[in-house]
Amino acid sequence: MYKPQNSYITKDKKMIDLINENYSLLLCLQHFHIDFSVDNLTVKQLCEEYHINLNVFMVIANLYNGFFPSHHEIDKIDDIHSIISFLKSNHSFFLDDKYPELKYYLGKIKNNQSNKDIFLIEQFFNEYFEEVLEHFKYEDDIAFPYFCSLLDDHASYQQNSFSAREYQNHHTDIETKLTDLKNLLLKHIKIKSDLNIMRKFLDTLFGLEFDLKIHSVIEEKILVPLIEKIEQGKNG
Amino acid sequence: MDKCRKNIVVLEPSKIVYEGLYASISKSEYGYAFFHIHTLSEIKELTSIKNISVVLINPALVQNRVSEFIRIKKQYNDIHWVGIIYCFFDNATLKLFDATFQITEDTTAIIRKINRICNNKSSDSLHDEHLSKRETVVLKWLSKGLSNKEIADKLNVSIHTVNTHRRNIMDKTGIRSLAGLTVYAVSKGIISLE
Repeated sequence: MYKPQNSYITKDKKMIDLINENYSLLLCLQHFHIDFSVDNLTVKQLCEEYHINLNVFMVIANLYNGFFPSHHEIDKIDDIHSIISFLKSNHSFFLDDKYPELKYYLGKIKNNQSNKDIFLIEQFFNEYFEEVLEHFKYEDDIAFPYFCSLLDDHASYQQNSFSAREYQNHHTDIETKLTDLKNLLLKHIKIKSDLNIMRKFLDTLFGLEFDLKIHSVIEEKILVPLIEKIEQGKNG
Repeated sequence: MDKCRKNIVVLEPSKIVYEGLYASISKSEYGYAFFHIHTLSEIKELTSIKNISVVLINPALVQNRVSEFIRIKKQYNDIHWVGIIYCFFDNATLKLFDATFQITEDTTAIIRKINRICNNKSSDSLHDEHLSKRETVVLKWLSKGLSNKEIADKLNVSIHTVNTHRRNIMDKTGIRSLAGLTVYAVSKGIISLE
């Protein structure tokens, strides 16, 4: 099948062309709270209109197009707050949108049959989501406030109470279990179900995996190195 | 979990080639960290602060400095040296490296090669996706919550052997979490929930 390679996003490209080429950028726009009616605006104009840091937007949007940022591009980022707010928006998408959707499909699949394997899958799914919740809660309650206090140089910033390194260690790999869930369903466990519902369930899982992958690349490859640099600066 | 975060050094003067390799290999499922250096002598400095797994190297850089290269290779014998092939190099030069790849090769093939070198996996052992008897036993104990050490004691083998079994189970099933492996074991009747 012919699948064109997504283009590398630069500031003067028109957003409408980029969306037509790769519609998953809509999700990226949503996370930045940008309206989908983008007119004929270029990336730069759009960012100006919505007061979004251009470098941050380009690095993240390019991840949606499959391009990893170079060290040089990461070094150019001077607005860590907007990265954090992007990640927060990502959390609510996960919790308010994807989670109920997956729950709904799973319920439908379960109603269709009494196979014990579906209960195993459901249990695995529930445990997985508890971990995700815990991870997000940790980020929202501990890691992000720490990063913000570090950036704003608040009095609440305490030099040795926490660090980006600790964040990284705590950052459990929530993608692993998602991949496991997909592999269990696609490789190992046959569940009799309406194909349409099963496809929608899997489709949502794949969509989620894509977004989570981007989420953790932002955290591990962009946020943590930037924060560590600031920590090093503060600690002399 | 078992994902390795290994350090890859690219020893190549061209920034464009480095950026290309970085962008391509970053697509691997393993989180590699990248370092760009321009000369052979920088290796020494880097190894003092980082644990290097692989050096992707432009063969032209060692062509006239073979003895120096051999000395460095001996000194850092944990490092895998992989030649970046973009034109003709004579056999004597190519033999200096542990592996090579052509820059025209498919990206996924290059990634696979590097993954394999980093994990020391032999490519053939994974073709059979069925778990061996021993692996099934290890999976059974793992699903029941035993630690690697406890399994090693039960089977009278080393922890290292248990780890190898464990890795093979994960590679064959494509499932890496303990909870996922337990679901697998129950659904295949390897353990029962009762």
